[in-house]
Amino acid sequence: MKTFLLTLSVAAFAASGALADEIRVLNWQGYGTDQDFAVEPFEKATGHKVVHEYFNSEQEMLTKLRTNPGAYDVVLINSIYTQQAVSEGLIAPVDTSKIENFAGISEKFATDPQLTSDGEVYGVPWVWGLTSFAVNNNSVSEVPDSLEILWDPEYSGRVAIRDDAVEAMHFGALATGQDINDIKDVDAVKEKLSSLMPNLRTFWSSENDWNQYMAAGELDVATYWSGSAARSIAFGLPITFLVPKEGAIGWLDGLSVPATSEHKDAALQFIDWMIDPEFYTVWDAAGAPASANTAAAAALPDDAFNKTVLGNPDLADRIQFMAPVSDETRESYLEIWQGLKAAQ
Amino acid sequence: MKTSLLAHAGRVWLALILFFLYAPILVMAAMSLNASPFYQLPFKFTTEWYEEMAGNEQIIAAAIRSVLIACVTTVIATALGTCASVALFRYDFKGKRLLQVLLFPPIAIPWLITGTAMLIFFFFIGIGRGTPAVIVGHVALALPYVIVTVTARLSSFDIALEEAARSLGADSWTVLRRVTLPWISPGIVAGGLFAFAVSFDQFVVSYFLSEPGDSTLPVMIYTAIRKGFTPEINAISTIIITLSMGIMFLATRKAKFGGEH
Amino acid sequence: MAELTNASDRRRLVALLSPAYLWLLVAVFLPLSAMLFFSFLTDLPQDTPDWGFTLGNYARFLSNPTYGTLLWKSVTLGLTVTLACILIGYPCALVLARTIKGRARETLFLLVILPFWSNSLVRIFSWAIVLRGNGVLERFLELFVPFDLRLNLMFTTTAVVIGLVHSYLPYVILTSYLALQAIDDDIIEAARSMGASRLTILRRLLLPLSMPGLMAGAVLVFVPVVGSFMEPRILGGRVGTYYGTVIEDQFVAVYNWPLGAALSFILLAVVLLILALASPILRKANT
Repeated sequence: MKTFLLTLSVAAFAASGALADEIRVLNWQGYGTDQDFAVEPFEKATGHKVVHEYFNSEQEMLTKLRTNPGAYDVVLINSIYTQQAVSEGLIAPVDTSKIENFAGISEKFATDPQLTSDGEVYGVPWVWGLTSFAVNNNSVSEVPDSLEILWDPEYSGRVAIRDDAVEAMHFGALATGQDINDIKDVDAVKEKLSSLMPNLRTFWSSENDWNQYMAAGELDVATYWSGSAARSIAFGLPITFLVPKEGAIGWLDGLSVPATSEHKDAALQFIDWMIDPEFYTVWDAAGAPASANTAAAAALPDDAFNKTVLGNPDLADRIQFMAPVSDETRESYLEIWQGLKAAQ
Repeated sequence: MKTSLLAHAGRVWLALILFFLYAPILVMAAMSLNASPFYQLPFKFTTEWYEEMAGNEQIIAAAIRSVLIACVTTVIATALGTCASVALFRYDFKGKRLLQVLLFPPIAIPWLITGTAMLIFFFFIGIGRGTPAVIVGHVALALPYVIVTVTARLSSFDIALEEAARSLGADSWTVLRRVTLPWISPGIVAGGLFAFAVSFDQFVVSYFLSEPGDSTLPVMIYTAIRKGFTPEINAISTIIITLSMGIMFLATRKAKFGGEH
Repeated sequence: MAELTNASDRRRLVALLSPAYLWLLVAVFLPLSAMLFFSFLTDLPQDTPDWGFTLGNYARFLSNPTYGTLLWKSVTLGLTVTLACILIGYPCALVLARTIKGRARETLFLLVILPFWSNSLVRIFSWAIVLRGNGVLERFLELFVPFDLRLNLMFTTTAVVIGLVHSYLPYVILTSYLALQAIDDDIIEAARSMGASRLTILRRLLLPLSMPGLMAGAVLVFVPVVGSFMEPRILGGRVGTYYGTVIEDQFVAVYNWPLGAALSFILLAVVLLILALASPILRKANT
């Protein structure tokens, strides 16, 4: 960490008379950028001050960008929303030459068509992860290899999935052996989800719900995000995160700079620090998603969750990465999902 | 004998309801002393969350900001709301029904929609964001509660009292100050307490309208649930409730707003 | 009530009313009018240049039975919670206003409203801890019964009702109290001396005289409960989908403000209609 931050501070000193800026980051709360071990070393090294604002849904993040020009310098955007932000002119291309650690990002992520446009990078690949499911070790003795456990009558009334239309449809697609980004047989998915409903105890909507219900023993099986599972395990919850034979949903989060940012250089310094291996190893110990920076991923200890579970090489062909979802599709999924929920 | 039996039954009922009202507050307080970050039982005592909270400048600053905003909101909303209630009660005029019906949209339409509407409208007319904008929003959401509450009290007010005072030569200011206001003061106090509660729990408007970094306690709590909040939140909530209880009990020694007549 | 006869009265009326209503105009009515305008649009003007006017968003309410079903479910929930609040809260107000005197009354009055000053989300999660399997409630009751208790209240409609009644009960208690406490003791004494029974006094005197307060409280409960989504989602689990949820979804899950706004104004219209239908009945009960 010392070396990187030293370079940073030298660079900051050299650049533009080393004026300290206040940079404003728009992100989910508690998601890497706002933790003490992220902010404090950065502020100390560069003299910049980091201020956070949070959003609770991607739609809200876009609304905030639209209605508050100039208010933010760094924004977290999930890759499936990046192109929308580009087309609305909300974010600026990133000069990757100013990001020292960009070289470490794997080819696949660095050239991801969702994060780039006209050869320019609009989102710096930051972290990725899987949406799959986890089981409670106290009540599920045999580790399952199939998604069908969600439908298993043995766990009736002890299952939860997230209250999210798109995610629910994607799980339905996985369970019916379809491409999550191109669901041909929507009725089959609907049918499959409809048969899941009686098995559910509740829908979860945040990590907070998930952890509390799991800790209280309300749930045996629940869909979950890999990064959150790493956190829950780090907190001591007895759970196992699984990637079933049907596969899992992959996602990629990028860091972008709003077009109206007035502190673009400081923003890039912060992004550089966010993909730095030395920051990432500290974050990973507290429970983090997988880094998009190969060098950072390699720097993890051998028993790290992100190395053993997500680093598993034969996983790659089971992951279906999410593609952008059009407004029409999103709304049609929502209608199906609301219909299913209202029938309860 | 029959009287006291009924009175006793009534008191038992009141005690039961108070227990019901306080059960989750007690649980909240107990959990601030429980070791599990996931609110797991059985109970294991710790003061860890209070220590962490004491070191968390952001949460303390947010709590203080929330209290200040709620106080300012309460004063403005109670003053404006009381004036409006008196006018609505005392005068008959065209459009009165409409003004009364207009109090319902801010209560009926979910705050999320009102908050979004405020965000785009304030941006459009240049109020922008920041603490003044937050207060503008809070007062507007609290006003209907104050007006409905004060009007409920006024409706049992005998207008003849005012007329009697006036016939004894009091001017209308004296009538208002000496007759009407003392009579409706319990309603004003209740309206003010509601206004404080509305503002203190309001997160959507604060969330959309406050400057980054200037968040209030409810905003912190609502944004924290995605990643999970810790019993630190319980610790600060417990402290706030305890302090408000203390202040209120001191207030009851000074002022009589339960009203005697 | 004074008719507006002279200019000074009119001036006073304007002076008293305008601060509150101007404030509401700028901070609520105008923003909501913008939302009302959006609800008749095909797309938001800031996103799509070729937006147009449509009634389609309102038509969707009729074409998709989900919305109607959920609105009915929400109205039923609103009525249930309101009724429960009245049945539980009115007797409390009665005791507080008519049998307790002096400082104790003031203290109790404050005690009723204090829980209101805690964060609603923290309160709901506390209820979750109380109601969940092997939670505080079951453990508490097990102290009194010799067998294993399984109430399974969490994630049921009952849990939603408990949480909402808890959140809104103070409105009914306090507004009823305000009206009951205002009733002149002499009237009650007079009725009693004429031999009226307690029930008669309650039915013929106290209830009618305190009706405006009780109704104000009931309205303050019913109106927000119909649009609630936070308490139902956390405490209701699988059965916790209500009309407020689908409105929220239009803003949070998809970016369809026109539809979300249209659904909100349908909610508002239905709530106002119910209040309008109820008011003659209540006025009749009042006389």
